[in-house]
Amino acid sequence: MQQKRLTKPMAIQLDSVAKKYGDHTVLNNVSLSVREGEVTAMIGPSGAGKSTLLRCINLLERPDTGCITVEGSQIDAGTNFTAKDLAALRRNVGMVFQSFNLFPHLNVLRNVSIAQERVLGRPRKDADARSMKLLERVGLADKAKQYPSRCSGGQQQRIAIARALALDPRVMLFDEPTSALDPEVGLEVLAVMKELAAEGMTMVVVTHEMQFARDVSDHLVVMANGSIIEEGDPEQIFTNPVQPRTREFLRAVLER
Amino acid sequence: MTIGLTVAALGIGALGGIPLALCRRSTIPGISFIAVSLIEILRGIPPIVWLFIIYFGLGTALPMLDPLTSAIIGLGLISCAYMAEIYRGGLSAITRGQWEAGEALGMGRQSVLTFIIGPQVFRVSVPAAASYAIGLLKDSSVAYTIGVSEIVYFANDQSRQSSDALGPFFLAALVYVIMTIPCAWATRALDARLRQKVAR
Repeated sequence: MQQKRLTKPMAIQLDSVAKKYGDHTVLNNVSLSVREGEVTAMIGPSGAGKSTLLRCINLLERPDTGCITVEGSQIDAGTNFTAKDLAALRRNVGMVFQSFNLFPHLNVLRNVSIAQERVLGRPRKDADARSMKLLERVGLADKAKQYPSRCSGGQQQRIAIARALALDPRVMLFDEPTSALDPEVGLEVLAVMKELAAEGMTMVVVTHEMQFARDVSDHLVVMANGSIIEEGDPEQIFTNPVQPRTREFLRAVLER
Repeated sequence: MTIGLTVAALGIGALGGIPLALCRRSTIPGISFIAVSLIEILRGIPPIVWLFIIYFGLGTALPMLDPLTSAIIGLGLISCAYMAEIYRGGLSAITRGQWEAGEALGMGRQSVLTFIIGPQVFRVSVPAAASYAIGLLKDSSVAYTIGVSEIVYFANDQSRQSSDALGPFFLAALVYVIMTIPCAWATRALDARLRQKVAR
């Protein structure tokens, strides 16, 4: 497993990313590398900074200092970067949110197509064709003309995944994708994510789904208090955590 | 005439309120201040005073505008200010997640505002705008003071001719009520349908 890691090229590189809100340090000079095709799961107690770190990758959160490199696009948070640099970086990143964030005033098909038209300039026919393919892939082609408010949570999240995939990103970020869903419904979404992983998509997933983290991820990152306290092979960390904080966290999680 | 005046003023307000609301949110120094001042002045001065200023005041410097045009401009400007504030409320009601989803997809702020946030703001603004519209319908009666021939004008005329002090005004009141009630019903129905298509 570790051998495989060292030979793949770098998809995401975070260098000394730091962020403070007033006196409170949210990210403490965190560095992280994610290889192509790797699934990285980020776990840890609430307030550890996992979501903040994830959102720094596509700069939804602006770090105070640090360097973010995604598929060759680099942005140094300390300097003034342009909207063009930002757009170039975000083009390679797709994101799925805990609260889905589908656009309620557009039907499902338009939800998946709109960014293709606006950002990639694809003509409507092509965009819609691609959208239908993706909706079929997540099993929701029949919902194309419906509005998001008529879809269940699990369906909305799968549509959100299709929407993010529509722009052909090289990297997919998932911010607690199943936290707002009940366990059974969460399984539908995790199934789609597993398929995506099997197809070789580079993924970073902040999650509380320990089974998913253990079975599907190639690299596990444990965060607490704004720092990465432990990272490495998931199986190894789950069976034999080195850091006491990790032990504490895993014990609480696995005892449920 | 009353309806025409109200619709015209509302139209101006609905459209003019957009740039005003956006200026208010602007981070460019000075623009926000100008926008806020403009809004406060327009809302702070009574409509009748505005109409007088525009009808009589402008006439001294520029060619005289007819009463109806003055009334439309005056009420239109005031509507811009009120609609700007309504849009501002609507904008803050839309969840941040909508902005984030749009930006994460690579859409620029302008794009997100136009295609994602804007349409939702319009839907959210309907109840407040409708309340304002109903109020405007009644306020348009001040246009009578600069000679616009609308309902109050006719009522006044009638009462003078027939020496009936109260009757024509009661009739006028009835006409206003008949105009505003369907408005209120229609907007309630419209609001219920549009509510589904907003992420608050």
